[in-house]
Amino acid sequence: MQKYIWLVPLLPLIGAAINGLLGRKLRFSERLIGGIAVGSVALSFLISVAAVYSYGFGGHPEWPKPYLTSQDGFSFNWIPGGAVSINQGAEARTQIELQKQVEERLATMAPEERGRFQSILVSDSPRFALLNIEWSYQLDPLSSIFMLIVTGVGLCIFVFATGYMHGEAGFYRFFAYMGLFMFAMLVLVMGSNFLMMFVGWEGVGLCSYLLIGYYFDRQEAANASRKAFITNRIGDFGFVLAIFGIIATFGSAQYTDVFEQAKAYPIELLGQWGILSWIALGLFVGACGKSAQLPLHVWLPDAMAGPTPVSALIHAATMVTAGLYMVTRTNVIFQHSQTMLLVVALVGAATAIFAATIGITQNDIKKVLAYSTVSQLGFMFMACGVGAFVIGIFHVMTHAFFKALMFLGAGSVIHGMHHEQDMRRMGGLKKYMPYTYWTFMAGWLAICGIIPFSGFWSKDEILWNAASTSQIPLGWLVWLIGTIAATCTAFYMTRLMAMTFWGRERFLEAPAGGEADEAHAAAYDKGLTQHDAVSPAAGDRPRHEPGEHVGPVHEDVAHHVATHGHAHEAHGAHEHGAHIPHESPPSMWVPLAVLALLAVIGGFVGIGPAFRTVTGSEHPGGRMNIVTWLNPVIWNPTTREFNAAEGGHGEETSHAAPAADAAHATPAEADHGTGASVYGHTGFNLAHSVENATHSELATEWIFIIISLVAAGIGMLLGGLFYVWRPQLPAIWAQRLRPLYAASYNKYWVDEFYGWAVTRRTMDAARAVYRFDAGIVDGIVNGLAALSRLFSRITGNFDKYFVDGIVNTVAAFIMRLMSPLFRAAQTGFTANYALVMVLGLMVAVAIFFARDIFSAFR
Amino acid sequence: MTLSGYEAVFFWIFGLAAIFAGLLTVMARNAVHSALFLISSLVSVAALFVLARAEFIAGVQILVYVGGVMVLFLFVIMLVNVGAQERGREEIFNNQRQVAASLIFCLLLVGGVLYAVNRGYSGLQALNPRPEGTVGQQSIRDQSHPPSATGSSRITEDAENVGASLYRYASLPFEIASVLLLVAIIGSVMLARTLRQEASADDVAPEVLQDEIATDPTLPQISAD
Amino acid sequence: MPAFFNIIFLLQEVETTRFDQMRQAAANPDLSKFLVIGALLFIIGVAGVLTRRNIIVIFMSIELILNAANLNFIAFSRYLHETGSVNALAGQLFAVFVIVVAAAEAAIGLGIVIALYRNKETIWVDEIDLLKW
Repeated sequence: MQKYIWLVPLLPLIGAAINGLLGRKLRFSERLIGGIAVGSVALSFLISVAAVYSYGFGGHPEWPKPYLTSQDGFSFNWIPGGAVSINQGAEARTQIELQKQVEERLATMAPEERGRFQSILVSDSPRFALLNIEWSYQLDPLSSIFMLIVTGVGLCIFVFATGYMHGEAGFYRFFAYMGLFMFAMLVLVMGSNFLMMFVGWEGVGLCSYLLIGYYFDRQEAANASRKAFITNRIGDFGFVLAIFGIIATFGSAQYTDVFEQAKAYPIELLGQWGILSWIALGLFVGACGKSAQLPLHVWLPDAMAGPTPVSALIHAATMVTAGLYMVTRTNVIFQHSQTMLLVVALVGAATAIFAATIGITQNDIKKVLAYSTVSQLGFMFMACGVGAFVIGIFHVMTHAFFKALMFLGAGSVIHGMHHEQDMRRMGGLKKYMPYTYWTFMAGWLAICGIIPFSGFWSKDEILWNAASTSQIPLGWLVWLIGTIAATCTAFYMTRLMAMTFWGRERFLEAPAGGEADEAHAAAYDKGLTQHDAVSPAAGDRPRHEPGEHVGPVHEDVAHHVATHGHAHEAHGAHEHGAHIPHESPPSMWVPLAVLALLAVIGGFVGIGPAFRTVTGSEHPGGRMNIVTWLNPVIWNPTTREFNAAEGGHGEETSHAAPAADAAHATPAEADHGTGASVYGHTGFNLAHSVENATHSELATEWIFIIISLVAAGIGMLLGGLFYVWRPQLPAIWAQRLRPLYAASYNKYWVDEFYGWAVTRRTMDAARAVYRFDAGIVDGIVNGLAALSRLFSRITGNFDKYFVDGIVNTVAAFIMRLMSPLFRAAQTGFTANYALVMVLGLMVAVAIFFARDIFSAFR
Repeated sequence: MTLSGYEAVFFWIFGLAAIFAGLLTVMARNAVHSALFLISSLVSVAALFVLARAEFIAGVQILVYVGGVMVLFLFVIMLVNVGAQERGREEIFNNQRQVAASLIFCLLLVGGVLYAVNRGYSGLQALNPRPEGTVGQQSIRDQSHPPSATGSSRITEDAENVGASLYRYASLPFEIASVLLLVAIIGSVMLARTLRQEASADDVAPEVLQDEIATDPTLPQISAD
Repeated sequence: MPAFFNIIFLLQEVETTRFDQMRQAAANPDLSKFLVIGALLFIIGVAGVLTRRNIIVIFMSIELILNAANLNFIAFSRYLHETGSVNALAGQLFAVFVIVVAAAEAAIGLGIVIALYRNKETIWVDEIDLLKW
């Protein structure tokens, strides 16, 4: 079945092509467009499942070795090698031949002799001549997980979107972009080399741009899409540099080649900046851009201007985790650089706490979820930074489930509320939207980290690994920040639940002043009249004045018309304000239910080692366990090899392995008592200290589990206190902590800072350049132009009166003389012209045979 | 290449027939007669093709020219020459000066070309003194072909060879030729249809059509409806 | 007597030699004869194009010209085939394309004729001087 994985990216592309190219021309119905899009993704999903099953569980002899489609003949030489040999010709080729011969000789030599020669050979071997990049897909444990996430969660979201986007004029366009996105994302995660990853990387960036700007007639959406695109460019620049570095260093872009070579490089400890550190830095800059990490996170919250399914698919479940995929894919390189591991961990932790604190004060339901996503991505990077790449991917997976669920739930709420996104105008929706409420509840418990739900397993493992890491110093700090961020997460998620689903039904009385209104975009699409005093030409979406009263409740839902303070009879088919919310159609809540189920049980594939007394094994479930499944793609710095397939000692897991066997022990293991590993001594280690105090590994793990549970509980209780039991508290505390509140509410003024430091400076520079251009360059050019105009006037007059005079005289003379002849020649009859042609033919024959003819007469 | 025996006899029969039929084509008063003479000329040339061992081209000549193109000609003659009976007495040639000049030029060309052919052929023989296939060799080669179903003739490999080299050496021109034919089909359909047909095909804006009808006095049958 | 016979014989010989040559040439037509027929057909076609008034007959003359060209192609193809050239079939291929072009030309040309007849009510070329101006 693996043979057919090339179909997986192709099918959504075909669907997108059909929808995008024909959808408008042939006026496809929504049902057809949705059917094509959902069908193609569903087919991809089925193929993925079958391929992964036969790869991992079907007795595939190669597991866990990566399976490349080129093994079965599906590949083409995308960028053919030998570019150098074309340019530099025979020289490079002979050098390769020479090297081959020498290598053959070397194989017969004694080892000590060989070593002396090899160092010379490696240094000047013309590896570039062999750079050969093929387009082939790779199926290995990592890519298979991502394939399943992307197609599976994607399928749910596609189904949801058919309901959510119902009635949009750009329905076909939306699904074309979505299909294109699926294609790009699958190329990203399934490619077998860095360049394919880059193609997918840019492809998802493009689709993200297109989909954020889906309501391109809204200034806000257009700006947000440009912001996302430009911010990502910064990251992509780093990524490109890293790819160049990889090709320059390893002479190949194929993952297998690169990692095989990278294994041999020495580990660069803290403060050492070898080539692998620089490569890792570039890669991480790319990951920061795509995964919205701290300096480059600003685009993700704004990206919520796109339709909600887009937010769920691209900006929560898949695209933003591409950075995680890349870091995990290149974990060999990252693990070679302790500095970069530390940077990754600290950036992740900083992002987690930073975004979590912002999330507390936001009022737009999607904004809250967006900052939550940024925060959770920070958690994932935290896991990667402390060396627990598997757990990072585990969190990607559970996060994909519960965050997609929550975004879709938010979409359902927005849909039910008639495109109202401000949580201050919601409340009490439990009664009106039971399906949405109960599924959202599952997502809430999962993200807070309550014990059987999926989020608990991954988040707890991240915190435990942060506390017990021996690959970087400052693990305890990362743990501390992570725990606080988890508390904040629980708090703001409880706040979200309370403001949306519980409490008073504020939509009946709330003043206007909402954050975003997709309804207006819909109105634009349908060509309806805009309400309010904003001219459509301005391109801005209409806003209510703060404090403006939207209107009284209309009990009669059948003909309620929202009456604003001012006249707006032309409000058309879309109204908002006082509405009775309604439950969403089955096409929307069925995906919610599926995702809710996954959010509840999805974590069981990664039950932590602390439960070994219950489950009987550290990683129960065999290959169904994510740690066992992913271990083969993780490099082990101690053994300097990739982890064995079923051995079960990944570095974060092998607490039971005998510590004495240093050669086979993982770093955590080797470090466990001695504090020495390939990474050297890493200072204070929280887990080890606790363990020294308790003298029991199991107890230590349980202590940390209880701490994280307590943190989540505190967050939830505080949230309940503030927003359920004592609703007056938030205002009081906002007053008391006014500076902090202002900072959080204004997102720490990062956007303002960037605007001041980057955008304004750029504009100033542009203006200065423009002034230079307009004043000096244009002045020179204009002066020259004036000079040449003067000159041309003089010559023009000369030409007009003198030269033309002569020519006209001659022409008049000739005209008078010759025109009767020429006029007679132009009869207009075809036969005459043909006669002239024959005459010409005759002349041609005569000239051609002139010599023969003359000789005949002589 | 040298023909001999009955082949030579047939060569002269068909060659002269081609020339005479061609002359009559040009000189016939009635266009239908012209067409019929042209058909016989083409058939004669096809026979010459057979004598030159190009059986496939001969078949194509018969099928395409005689079967297709000439039928087209006859159709058009019938479409156009409605009033041929009334115009029967009209002059069929252009004015005398044109005809005279043409004939002079043509005679000169005949002389030049015939001279050039003889000179050129002797030069060619001097250039390529290799003996041409004798009659005996030819008949032996022909006999080596398998007999056809009726047993009365031999199947040559001509069509096979032409087909093979058509696809091997001239596949791109072949494709281009197909496109050319497509363009010709579409073009002739577009050229030959009436304004009424254009209107019924609905690719003329009605206003344009109205204007056309209003301003064009040569369209009485359309302005009627 | 012998001299007389000799003279007669000589005369006879001279005459029969010439006649024989011509007879020989006629009995064994070679490439040049094909070319001569082709040339004559060509000239006839050219003459038709130049002299006739009926545009349809002019088209027929053009077909004659194309046929003459085809005859040359085929004859040379045959000739090259027997001299053992590898390009012998190129002539036949060319003939095929010439036929294709002729068919296309006839279709388009006759379409033009119909359009012309519809607009000008004539098919005499000396009444059509659209090329003027």
